[in-house]
Amino acid sequence: MINSYRPTTVEEALQLIHQKRCHIFAGGTDLMIRKRQWQGAERKFTQPVVFINGIDSLKNIEETDTHYIIGALVTQTEMAESHLPEYIRVPYAQMSHPAIRNIATVGGNIVNAASVADSIPILLALDAEVTLQSVEGERTIPLGAFILGKYKTVRKDNELLTYIHIPKKNYNAYYYKKIGQRKASILSKVSVFIVHHKLDEIAITIGAVNPMVIRSVQLEKQFIKDHSIPDLIQGFKAILSGVNDKRSTKDYRETVAINMIKTYLEGVINEL
Amino acid sequence: MKIDFILNGNAVSIESTYTRRLLDVIREDFDLTGTKEGCAEGECGACLVFMDDLLVNSCMVPMANAVGKSVVTIESFAQTEAYKSIENAFMSSGAVQCGYCTPGMVMAVYELFKKYDAPTLQQVKEGLSGNLCRCTGYQMIFEAVAMLVKEGYRYD
Ligand SMILES: Cc1cc2nc3c(=O)[nH]c(=O)nc-3n(C[C@H](O)[C@H](O)[C@H](O)COP(=O)(O)OP(=O)(O)OC[C@H]3O[C@@H](n4cnc5c(N)ncnc54)[C@H](O)[C@@H]3O)c2cc1C
Ligand code: FES
Ligand code: FES
Repeated sequence: MINSYRPTTVEEALQLIHQKRCHIFAGGTDLMIRKRQWQGAERKFTQPVVFINGIDSLKNIEETDTHYIIGALVTQTEMAESHLPEYIRVPYAQMSHPAIRNIATVGGNIVNAASVADSIPILLALDAEVTLQSVEGERTIPLGAFILGKYKTVRKDNELLTYIHIPKKNYNAYYYKKIGQRKASILSKVSVFIVHHKLDEIAITIGAVNPMVIRSVQLEKQFIKDHSIPDLIQGFKAILSGVNDKRSTKDYRETVAINMIKTYLEGVINEL
Repeated sequence: MKIDFILNGNAVSIESTYTRRLLDVIREDFDLTGTKEGCAEGECGACLVFMDDLLVNSCMVPMANAVGKSVVTIESFAQTEAYKSIENAFMSSGAVQCGYCTPGMVMAVYELFKKYDAPTLQQVKEGLSGNLCRCTGYQMIFEAVAMLVKEGYRYD
């Protein structure tokens, strides 16, 4: 019989995950889906389960002069209905469906690190950082350094993701589009997120095509200088490495991503 | 272990593991079978309940995450006035065929009115995107919601 625990403080949780390798369980909307593993879980679980959803201190959205600080257990619904800027709220409001959004957490989407995780392109474009805590101490690192690849992160077994820090920026426009089989409640085939302030500052990410979200600060800088859409597109084409899978084909994904970026930016340039 | 929570307004205490699904506890321990199991993957909405007034898929909730929470199933929701109006609209629009999706659908409709006073068709579609219906083709369900909007239905 596998033990399971329900700590109510971060310290308690850290002690538990330090002693033994554990499954950390937040909202469970990714973990419960791994159904074949889960069914009969009470017998088959090989690691203790630590249910962290009772830790109320990780359920707040706070802000400082420079950052929004999101507790790892904040739900997608809470993000969507918060006072955060629209370019953060809208993507969260388009994830999954209403009932899942009520339980799925911000931290779970990040740590799961699926290549189709919809929050990652947003947070990466916004230069978010994550705080990892263990009994040995804590570290805050850029999200880009946290994620190593599809389902792979630098999190150590004894570390809990506690906070996400999103810098406040003066972006005044954004574009977000997620393409799936249906309009809602479906994993992305491809998504594009663009935030900018006129064309003085811009961040562009493409989700669900490569195993990892695509962002090139170098291409962004070049584009701010020359406003050349063909060069930007050329640059992105060189780094796109989509695959064919059950959701879509490489060609479809790449063409759609490129077209979305192109069409949106042409509109922006026309209005300058 | 002993797990305490509130079910349909009553404080209850059960002997269960943390890993058991709320869905199974509702159906097996309490014999409340209005909550259905469809996909067991969070996609279909047959298992919807309210937990602390929020719509959740009970197939996704282990008992550890229900500790101390107030859970309301369709059996209890069906006693409310809010429910009766939705039931009427569903019946007069032919929005129920086999009925398997109906408990979840009705609860999702209620949650929809919590967000919008008069949801547009697009908002209805988004609001019901976690509910699959294999019989009606959805049209009649959308019509039932449109009827509620027309009647000035309000979340209370
Ligand atoms: C029907 C349905 C639709 C969905 N649609 C979408 C969608 O549109 N877009 C999308 O991106 N995802 C979608 N998902 C996936 C899922 O809802 C999200 O990834 C969600 O954010 C996961 O959060 P959770 O709290 O439920 O994670 P959990 O399942 O609890 O955890 C996920 C992983 O993260 C780890 N973990 C969680 N929290 C922490 C922490 N604080 N510290 C360390 N490790 C942690 C867990 O150990 C686990 O490995 C969908 C899922 C379902 C069931
Ligand atoms: S059984 Fe829970 S969503 Fe289908
Ligand atoms: S009425 Fe049969 S599934 Fe909806």
